[in-house]
Amino acid sequence: MTPIIELRHVNRSFIKDKQVIPVLQDVNLSIEENEIICLVGESGCGKTTTGKIIVGLLDPSQGEMLIDGQPIANHDKQAQKRIRRQFQIVHQDPFASLNPAHTIGDILSFPLRRHKMVTGTGSLRRRIWELLTMVDLTPPGDIVNKYPHQLSGGQRQRVSIARALTVQPRLVVADEAVSMVDVSIRISLLKMLHRLREELGLTIIFITHDLALAKYFAWEGRIAVMYLGRIVEMGRTPDVIANPAHPYTRALLAAVPEADPDLTRSKHVLQLRSDEIPRLTAIPPGCAFHPRCPFYVPGLCDVDVPALGAAPGFVQQASCWPLQKGLPLVPAGLTPEMTADARP
Amino acid sequence: MIGLETVATPAGLLIGVLCGLVPLGAGVYYKQYRAGLIGLIACTVTGFGCGLLGGLPMIALTYAVVISYAYVNKQDPFTSRMALEDVDFSETRREHFQRVMARIGERTRASIRALTRNKAGFAGFLGIMFFVLVTVFGPLFIRYEGETHMERRAPGALALVAPPSEGHPLGLDWKGRDVLSHMVHGGQRLIATSIQAGIIATALAVALGSAAGLLGGPVDTVLSAIANFILTIPGFPLLIVLAAVVDFDSDFMLAVLFGVLNWPTLMRAVRAQVMSLRERDYVQAAMVLDLGLWHVISREVFPNMVSYISINFIFTIRVAMYSIIGLTFLGMVPLRDPDWAVMIFTGRQQGVLFLPEAAGMLLSPIIAIALFQLSLVLFARSLEEIFNPRLRSGL
Repeated sequence: MTPIIELRHVNRSFIKDKQVIPVLQDVNLSIEENEIICLVGESGCGKTTTGKIIVGLLDPSQGEMLIDGQPIANHDKQAQKRIRRQFQIVHQDPFASLNPAHTIGDILSFPLRRHKMVTGTGSLRRRIWELLTMVDLTPPGDIVNKYPHQLSGGQRQRVSIARALTVQPRLVVADEAVSMVDVSIRISLLKMLHRLREELGLTIIFITHDLALAKYFAWEGRIAVMYLGRIVEMGRTPDVIANPAHPYTRALLAAVPEADPDLTRSKHVLQLRSDEIPRLTAIPPGCAFHPRCPFYVPGLCDVDVPALGAAPGFVQQASCWPLQKGLPLVPAGLTPEMTADARP
Repeated sequence: MIGLETVATPAGLLIGVLCGLVPLGAGVYYKQYRAGLIGLIACTVTGFGCGLLGGLPMIALTYAVVISYAYVNKQDPFTSRMALEDVDFSETRREHFQRVMARIGERTRASIRALTRNKAGFAGFLGIMFFVLVTVFGPLFIRYEGETHMERRAPGALALVAPPSEGHPLGLDWKGRDVLSHMVHGGQRLIATSIQAGIIATALAVALGSAAGLLGGPVDTVLSAIANFILTIPGFPLLIVLAAVVDFDSDFMLAVLFGVLNWPTLMRAVRAQVMSLRERDYVQAAMVLDLGLWHVISREVFPNMVSYISINFIFTIRVAMYSIIGLTFLGMVPLRDPDWAVMIFTGRQQGVLFLPEAAGMLLSPIIAIALFQLSLVLFARSLEEIFNPRLRSGL
């Protein structure tokens, strides 16, 4: 099956104060129709930039993006707009994503009217009712004439999602869509996204910094872990969570707090060599993670950039030299015999 | 176009009454007599004052208010608690028109409520209305005295100028003319020219600021350079120099000149606002939804600047008024009676500044100008509450 969207060797850099900042480097990502994929990573790792490239807010500096197997430039202007519209984004901040000057009904009616998704005012109002019901904002009559400031954060985020759905998209990028919402609301929002995916056949790209959230949301999908502009590990969620390959993923998983205090205490803490994230203007040579990596192998990790690829003993792909060469991961300064639990 | 030339003429009154028949008719039809009557009065006053220019928008607003009262009791299918299948959304054109009008009317009422909620702002509004009504309609009731009245000199007095007395509540000026008649006739031009100047400066600032902020690049560089250049020119001294060269016989020319010299400050503020607003998430969302550049400017960016722009508009009027008064006081523009500023100028020129009898003649325009300025400043406070939906709803 042709993937709905495919990124090939996508690079993106920004120029600030005459300095080139490489935010994305050699990102390869292929997303199937109706899939859930989570982009996970700390801030500044390029996950939002990836999302913006996918919805067309940014263009790649290098590399290409294929939509249904074709570069977008193959189409004429009108078709390009139509295709772009199939990819929508839901922003992180529910307080900034809705225009405070318009009522919810207006916000939803702008795209519906502009793209002739409805005929006449009767069907416009029917559609707004449908959309609000779809995102669990019921009864719709209570919401439609309100201004964004009269709604709670969770309700606003639902309106954002409804607005994205007005143009009947195939893919929605949820950029930290639940991060700023009360924890009590999060689960219901995620469940709703799941339901929408099933009902509407949506493809969802879920961007988050929270691995626990990614695990919960994308259990049936895939996770791509990003670090300093590159995807360092990618695979089916259960594989990545149960048996993380890349040391960075291991560190992330080790940092996820568990509700069970016994579990937390017995948890193996992965001590990084440094807590400092390198600046994007000075990305370390070789594997970008090597200055922090507890399993750093001098002479191997700091020379060439590892590509995302198969590693013996793992189902998922990872970009880590020792793993790909089948070497045991040994905390730096220790020999394999001294560490019992260093997994190959 | 039957516009400003009908101000305070029988034709204007006729236009106003005709306009007022629309909300009155609607009020009778929908049994909203009070709203209809208020609509009739509002339309008559604006039609009388501004001709069709004010009458037509007032028809729309008052009609919408009448409809919004009538609509309150009507069940909107959207707000019913029925299931989607049972709701009938179909509506005739007429019903749709009524629904849209009711919404406009509700917003108008919310704006009026917001205006009256802020006491200081409402006082400012009343002050402005007072001066506008007096200067527009006052001349209908009080005759202008242009000629000298030697016979009014009080026995034993050196000059014609006289303090307030019976029959002349604000006293007599240096030619023995009634000050009250000058006050009533002398404000119209000053206020109108200041408003024109304010409109020109604000329009230039908003157009150029939005262009610079949205387009960026070379457009921004050039426009900002021009703005910076004009900002370095000391405006008032330049106006004085220009006044000696340019023919200021036309008030409009004065307004244009003021506008051209005073757009940069607001333009830079608008540019900064546009630049910050265009990065907002909802603007990005509008772009991803392919709503078009015009939609982004007019529906996403502009509504969030309206309060800021309108407040600055008021302040520009204020500054323009003082500039014109300053120019007049220095005698740099052709003097025309009757005019508040000319009254102060002649007071100085005729050497009555230090005569206690001249208090009426001098203080009247000064107090009127100060009160009008104060009203503008106070009214500006209310604008934020009127245009910001968060403050408007009072929540």
